[in-house]
Amino acid sequence: MPPRISPPSKAIASILRCKRPVRIQRHYATILPAASHEQITKSSPPIARYPTTQPPSYKPPEFRKSQLLRQYASLIRTTPLMLLFQHNNLRSTEWVGIRRELATALRKVDEARVAAGYPAENVGEGIKIQIIQTGILASALRIVDFYKPESAPPALDPTDPATPSMTIPSFNPDGSNLTHVLSKAAHAATSKKNHPLDPLLSGPLALLTFPAVSPQHLKAALSILSPVPGQFPAPTRRANPGWHDLAVQTGLQKLLLLGARVEGKVFDVERTKWVGSIEGGLEGLRGQLVAMLQGVGAGVTNTLEIAGKSLYFTVEGRRIMLEDKAKGVSGEKVEEPKA
Amino acid sequence: MITRFITEVSTVFNPFSPKAKTARLFLSFLPPNARQTMKVSTKLLPRVSKDPSFVQLKFSTNSYISDQQRIMYKSADDSFLEDGKEMKLDAEKLGIKGVIEEVDRHSRILSRQEELTGN
Repeated sequence: MPPRISPPSKAIASILRCKRPVRIQRHYATILPAASHEQITKSSPPIARYPTTQPPSYKPPEFRKSQLLRQYASLIRTTPLMLLFQHNNLRSTEWVGIRRELATALRKVDEARVAAGYPAENVGEGIKIQIIQTGILASALRIVDFYKPESAPPALDPTDPATPSMTIPSFNPDGSNLTHVLSKAAHAATSKKNHPLDPLLSGPLALLTFPAVSPQHLKAALSILSPVPGQFPAPTRRANPGWHDLAVQTGLQKLLLLGARVEGKVFDVERTKWVGSIEGGLEGLRGQLVAMLQGVGAGVTNTLEIAGKSLYFTVEGRRIMLEDKAKGVSGEKVEEPKA
Repeated sequence: MITRFITEVSTVFNPFSPKAKTARLFLSFLPPNARQTMKVSTKLLPRVSKDPSFVQLKFSTNSYISDQQRIMYKSADDSFLEDGKEMKLDAEKLGIKGVIEEVDRHSRILSRQEELTGN
């Protein structure tokens, strides 16, 4: 006997199969340990949605470009003084020679400073000349100078159980509330702006970066890299024969100083040389300032004293006058009984 | 760019002007040993200067020869004398492509002459 209900057609059967839940997960009967006191009183540790060292990035972080941008941005933030050079097809031997001469000259400056009694800071070791990718540097400069996020995200450790889970720096899936260098906000805020250093940023460029504004080191570096007779004299052949090597000389001919960025301001070649020509470095400037302020102090004391002195003289004069009067009156009084 | 026939390059530009890009790029197109085969002089203008940037060139017919060879050639045949054509290129109008085109145009003439005279 055939079944009374005919089986559903194939099409309907396939639809029905789709709607059915795919597979019911199996549950095993397990005995859970009882929750400890700490687990009950404290909330469970919030889940970190990303490692703190790797926030989600607008630009793909695995590209060399992105990492160079981060590197340049941190370089610009940490160097108050940097010089821009154009390098026209220097050979590697020439670069080696130039770097060697620069390092020896800067070491000499450091030693001279220590010998003069200043504390050893080893600024010279941090001064490096490096070739950079021009376009990426331009982008990094704009981000550093124009992108100032108003509120930095709270520095909380998402893996710390003490952190309340509501304050975890959560991010939108499109990364719209992030503020780091590679973020979308940084890109949007800076991509249409013009930096005053922009016209310099074309063609092959090299940067000479200083970890501190030190006119003495700048002077030494300029006298090696772009000597000017008189102001920044080149080392003599006897004092520094290495500088007169053929490789170094041909390299220096192809190196062209274009400008500088000193504490966020853009300087041309003349102003850069002026910075390098500050006598005695920052200590010299401070000495001049102190001398000036001392002069001002003496002037102020004099001025203040004058008021006091004049008051004193006035009062003293008045006192003498009154005394004289009193004497006169008393003298008259004395005279009267005689008369 | 054919740089074999250039004997002298002098450029003037203000690096803070966007139009100076051409002159700077021209300098970067010269080969690494350019300073041995030609005289290169560069003058930088101060930042406020509005003077135009330009590239000035001088040519010779003899490519890559030392002075001693040049004297020998001169005594042998007068046609090897430097043609000494001077070019003053307005870098602001031409752009780097235009400057290279001008240089190559003259250099090709010189190289053809060189081939025809059997060198």
